[in-house]
Amino acid sequence: MLDKILYNTVLSQTLSPCGKYLIAGNIYSQLAVYDLDRILNPVVELLTSDYNKPKHIHTLESGHQICSLASTEKFLIVGTVNEISGWDWKSAVSSKLSKPSWSIRIPSRSSMEQTDVNSLWLSEDESKLYAGCGDNNVYVFHLEDGRLVSTFKGHNNFIHAIDGRHQQLITASEDGCVMLWDTRTSSSHNKLEPHTNSKVSRPDIGKWVGSVALGEDWIVCGGGPRLALWHLRSLDAVTVFDIPDHGIHVSFFYDDSVFAGGAAKHFYQLSYSGEVKVELPVSATTVYSAVLRTNPKVLAIAGSSPEIDLCTTFNYRDQVLHFR
Amino acid sequence: MGKEDVSAKKRRKINTSSSSDTSKPVPVDIYKRVVEFEESEAQLRPAEKDATLFKKICQDIRHLFAEISELKTKDTDEAREKINAKRIEASLNLVALKKLNRLEKVRTRAGRDALHKEKQRVDSTHLLLQNLLYEADHLNKEVTKCLQFKSKDEEIELVSLEDFFANAPAEISRPDLTKTDEHQLQLARLEWELRQRRELSAACNELISSKERVAAAIAAARSRLDALVPHLRDVLKSTKPLQECLALRLDDKRDEARAASLLPSPLFLLFANTSAYSDALGSNSVAVSISGDEDEARRLEQLNNVDSDLVASNDSDSDQENNEDDQREKKKRHHRNAKISKEEKAEAKKKEVLKKHPLNVQVSVKVQDGTALNLIFSYLLHLKIVVVKFTVSLPKPITGVSAADVLNGHCILNELYPGDTGCDSPHPATSYLLNAAGISEDFQYFISELGKPYIWAQRMCGLDFMATITEDQKINKNNNLCPSLSVSTVENFILTLKKRLKSRVELMKELQDLESGKILPVKGDFPCPIRLSGSLTQWQSVGWPEYSQSPSTSFLIAEGLVNPNDLLYRAIITRQSAKLVALVALRSDYPRKAPMFSLTLHWNGTHHAGINDDIRDIERFINTDLGSEDKKQHTLSVQITKLLTCLDILLETTGSSEFPPDKVMFCPVRGRNRLKPYKFLKQGNGVFVQY
Repeated sequence: MLDKILYNTVLSQTLSPCGKYLIAGNIYSQLAVYDLDRILNPVVELLTSDYNKPKHIHTLESGHQICSLASTEKFLIVGTVNEISGWDWKSAVSSKLSKPSWSIRIPSRSSMEQTDVNSLWLSEDESKLYAGCGDNNVYVFHLEDGRLVSTFKGHNNFIHAIDGRHQQLITASEDGCVMLWDTRTSSSHNKLEPHTNSKVSRPDIGKWVGSVALGEDWIVCGGGPRLALWHLRSLDAVTVFDIPDHGIHVSFFYDDSVFAGGAAKHFYQLSYSGEVKVELPVSATTVYSAVLRTNPKVLAIAGSSPEIDLCTTFNYRDQVLHFR
Repeated sequence: MGKEDVSAKKRRKINTSSSSDTSKPVPVDIYKRVVEFEESEAQLRPAEKDATLFKKICQDIRHLFAEISELKTKDTDEAREKINAKRIEASLNLVALKKLNRLEKVRTRAGRDALHKEKQRVDSTHLLLQNLLYEADHLNKEVTKCLQFKSKDEEIELVSLEDFFANAPAEISRPDLTKTDEHQLQLARLEWELRQRRELSAACNELISSKERVAAAIAAARSRLDALVPHLRDVLKSTKPLQECLALRLDDKRDEARAASLLPSPLFLLFANTSAYSDALGSNSVAVSISGDEDEARRLEQLNNVDSDLVASNDSDSDQENNEDDQREKKKRHHRNAKISKEEKAEAKKKEVLKKHPLNVQVSVKVQDGTALNLIFSYLLHLKIVVVKFTVSLPKPITGVSAADVLNGHCILNELYPGDTGCDSPHPATSYLLNAAGISEDFQYFISELGKPYIWAQRMCGLDFMATITEDQKINKNNNLCPSLSVSTVENFILTLKKRLKSRVELMKELQDLESGKILPVKGDFPCPIRLSGSLTQWQSVGWPEYSQSPSTSFLIAEGLVNPNDLLYRAIITRQSAKLVALVALRSDYPRKAPMFSLTLHWNGTHHAGINDDIRDIERFINTDLGSEDKKQHTLSVQITKLLTCLDILLETTGSSEFPPDKVMFCPVRGRNRLKPYKFLKQGNGVFVQY
């Protein structure tokens, strides 16, 4: 039997607030901690052959896959199955992972049901945690006491991704809908169905929406349907990006461009008008996670591969990290 | 002119000083006297004074001429008178000049004579000097010749000075004399040397004669023993009827033992250990025999004995032997035919280097159903390694092409132990030996004709080459035979080989079934869903080029998990319009290592793990032990059953109308990676879940 780590899949990554550490979580409930300082500014004399391996690999006790990761000033937040846990950063990057500082159970209807915490989003003031879950709901927790503040119900299938801006929250789901929510009233006020739009739909891949991001005036989303830029107020597909992918799983705005990846050989940077600015070749068969930071400037792309690609200029792949 | 004139002149000239001489009476020849006088006068008078006198007279004459010419212009009588007077005066002056000239001439001649005399004297002195120098040189040469003379005694090696004084008797050493006189010391030492040598020579002669005596005694004993042989033979012959009567196989055993004694030592070790093992286990599972040309072997052994007598050193020095052989060969050729073409020579040399011992050991290992593996071990005399050839005998013919391959060909012994492919010589010296014989090819080139030099074969024969064997703790420095190694390896090998044979026979049956499209019903507790909709339509073995060219296998090859020695197959599974091509790699030690699948799905385009996560998920589920904890039995069938299930699940979750879902699943897709429920849970009728 082969080692399962050869078929490793990284579903989520996050960077520590200090920018020194990259955390990646895989489906075998392992957390890899990379010391970016050492990788990006190597001291030549101390360079060893395993410099691109994780500094530590923590295995969670539950054995569930790690579906999502987020970070606040104080905590590393890990979303697995049925549970969201928080570790303070000091213990997260130490060689042995202690018990979590706190954990929140996702309320479920039956004991049999397993709810993946597919996506996490923190409000701007880091007081509330929004979790898009496998039971079609978005739960809002108060980070101070772990109290469930509210539940957003409305999707008919599990939620792939959530994003937000000010008082607005946006969710993308397997059922093919993208919904806009008002966080103050906990109700949906708008709905987008990309698979009904003939310009973007791809029935052979499916109607699911794998990724969504909310900008000032724009929404970018994609999945089974093509990656497209939608106008927030008119909900029109303004630009349909023509890239050779078999499903989008990552998309976000950065610096007047759209960054997107998925089941494709490249990770793309696109202008709003639809031109491809940069194509980054990726190791992963499918990209499930890309995290970006400006100080230090780093972009980490991971997915279904034991390798994680690291770009410091966003223009080409300059390092490959191993998660094995 | 008269002598009076001369004398008068003289008198005038040399007024006072010479007047006495001239006045002397001259009894002898007047001319001679004059000459003598002149000569002495010239000697006496200083030359410088004469020179000034000469100048003065010349001046006077000029004055006179001038006065005469002046007077002539006057042309008077008085003047004429005067002129006459003057004329006389001038003439007298001229006479004086003449005299002076003569004196000068005489003086010059005297000087010249003196010079000549002096020159002669110098010449003779110089000649004398040359003679003396030559003589000195000659004497020098004689001296060096004497100094360089070598005496014979310098070549003789003498005992050292201390030994000499310690051992030599006093009448020879005479220390009182020799301690001071170097020459006497040398003489004494030479004398001592002579006496010792004489004694030794006498001892040597005595020993030679005693040796001859002993040799004669040995020859006598040998001839007596030789006479005994025919008697013994007669005795043996006469026991034969009795043996037959009692059904004893004593003779066969004896033949075998005799043949065994002719075996090269590694093969003898193998034979001894394996036959012991077969005695212990019964000959129906392991059988041993010796085959080959016994006479040839006997001849070789005699040759070796001669060699070892000549070369008293160890036999591990194979280079030396080789060289000797070469030289012998060369000589022979020279005698027979000087013009043998180069290729023939090289060919013969090659044959010589790769020569096998004429005897070989056959071991045959049998498993229960009658399948047997016959191994032929041969020993390469010069390369000093053991090579193995083998055949497989089957109780009944195999149907199916790929199934037959499992038991035939090279693969059955492949990597019996990890890393032991038998593709290169385990002996580090082989390449040097081949090079020394002028063979440019590697040893691999000859493997097909010689047999494979597996490491286990060397170890069974007690040969241990440290370079290649890492797991062995005790490392022998040279390739001396190690009997204990052979004992342990023989047992281990036979057990391993039996296990391998058994698993191969099972695999063969399994493959036979697969090739005809049957999949063995899975025994045990592996949960099997009720209905599988896909079917195995093809099972075929493929070559490495085809395997490695498929894009789906590049990942396994890059990770070094598959290599060309593995058994490679292609399975095709179809369900309606979907076609799944699975390339399967079986390691040599299957079923200890599970088979590896790499998949390509042809449906709605071509998908493989490099571009499609669903296929990658199926591969993960099948190739890793994520999905099951079941027993190792029938792994191939289990995996194919799993693969069929996974294909059904994948196709049914696409929602296509071509594949109506008939399996119970909690949720068809789950998680951001949209994982399909490949895992079967035994709940009720069975449910498929993701984790």
